[in-house]
Amino acid sequence: MRERNPLLLAFYVLVVLFLFFPILIVVPISFSNGRFLSFPPEEFGLRWYKAYFSDPVWMSATFRSLRVALGASLLATFVGTLSVVGLGRRRSKTSGILTGIFVAPAIVPNIIVALGVFIFAIRMGVSDNELTLICAHAAIGLPFVVLMVGTAYRQIDPTLEKAARIMGAGPIQAFLTATLPPLTPAILSAGIFAFFVSFDELIISLFLMSSAETLPMRIWNDLRFEINPTIAAVSVFFVLVTTVAMTGAEFLRRRAEAKQND
Amino acid sequence: MRKRLTLIPGIVLIAVMFLIPVGIVFQQGLFDPVFSLDHFERFATRGAYMRIFWNTLQVSAVVALVCLLIGYPIAYFIVRQPPSRRPFLMFLVLVPMWMSILARTYAWMVVLGKEGIINQSLLAVGLIDAPIKMLFTTGAVYVGMVQIMLPILIVTCFSSMTEIDQSLLRAARIMGASPRKAFREVFLPLSAEGAITGTLIVFILSIGFFIVPALIGGRKDVLMANVISNQVSQTNWGFAAALAIVLLVATLAILTVVRTASAKLVHHNEEAH
Repeated sequence: MRERNPLLLAFYVLVVLFLFFPILIVVPISFSNGRFLSFPPEEFGLRWYKAYFSDPVWMSATFRSLRVALGASLLATFVGTLSVVGLGRRRSKTSGILTGIFVAPAIVPNIIVALGVFIFAIRMGVSDNELTLICAHAAIGLPFVVLMVGTAYRQIDPTLEKAARIMGAGPIQAFLTATLPPLTPAILSAGIFAFFVSFDELIISLFLMSSAETLPMRIWNDLRFEINPTIAAVSVFFVLVTTVAMTGAEFLRRRAEAKQND
Repeated sequence: MRKRLTLIPGIVLIAVMFLIPVGIVFQQGLFDPVFSLDHFERFATRGAYMRIFWNTLQVSAVVALVCLLIGYPIAYFIVRQPPSRRPFLMFLVLVPMWMSILARTYAWMVVLGKEGIINQSLLAVGLIDAPIKMLFTTGAVYVGMVQIMLPILIVTCFSSMTEIDQSLLRAARIMGASPRKAFREVFLPLSAEGAITGTLIVFILSIGFFIVPALIGGRKDVLMANVISNQVSQTNWGFAAALAIVLLVATLAILTVVRTASAKLVHHNEEAH
């Protein structure tokens, strides 16, 4: 059954345009060649991309963010997948409470986590430290891993793992050979998601780091003083990276789904 | 039983990077160094802080309701398309989420500013003589926040709507219900829970907003997260912690009230039918 209401269709198109509006603005600005921001740009070129890639401050912030996001995403996916296995398939009271605790960082505003982690890190003498930031970002990425991998885990037939055990595999080997392969696409998508949770995070980094900037911190500090097209170039570059990453993850997920259905 | 051991790394991570820090926030806000409610008294008696607190709740509620009013019809539209077309229609809704919130806020700065795109085009066409103030207003905050939150509401509504058996609507029509009545009596009650959940999620996420009000809001549009951040930069940790506690407790209280109320509502609906 299909909804053919033209008003609803027009409304959908308008809303999608509204959602895309920031992207539609930022892309042309990033390719402008003028010294100042103007829209629509009078001259097109790669000036601001060159400015971004040749500025050591922007580059070091970018590499720091990539490093932190990679670390946080690996830690969150590893720890999160282990947690999903530990929570098990059957829903009990304990597993319900534990799931609630694992998911809580997604509900509690980041500013509260940021304040607590900041004071705790200062007391422990580990503030202004990339490793601390990686762990904090892993904790706020964990909810998404537990939810995404958990959903996939409950859909996997447990008899496979049992069969592997009966055939003489140890518990770890049984998990690695029977359960992990069908779980891999979900782990990968969750990992990419956790990566971007960290890559985009501002407030925890702002509190925790004092001597070194992450990319969002660099953008934030830039935006408060001047509106500079470098930010447009940076954003468009990372929208492209994200699109490739997300499309890749979706492709992997679909291929795995198709394989399972065969 | 040994499987339970794999929970340990997760519990350690959550304890060290979430539970203990939140505990420290409570300790910092309530003990100075002995138990005292001074920070809360300061919050309650200084009009400015109470005003910002109510403003945070009000802005979040408006954003959540606007998202519901726009997002629910969109989710309905998508779910009523052939299943083969739905993923593409959802894809278009989700892509804008891949852009950093900072970059999207930057775009609004460029668009809404005094010399921004809207003012420049209106001046060029001759519709206005002087630029209209759009940046650094409450309206700008609403636009920025709705753009960020809308996809989340649409996804939540959509996933609950896909679980509704679409043939129920056809059955209602065959039984003689008008399209409007079929929607009101069948589709609306079944999709209500997802819509309430989505609205609640948007509301709760809005309560912690920081970037949008700081960059495109005016001085009056400061939200709680901005005040907490200001207090931290002035090293008033105790007061910052007290404000964080107020925010957290308010969030949890609202979550509980709406959850209970909506459970009752859904239950009541089930009994009525």
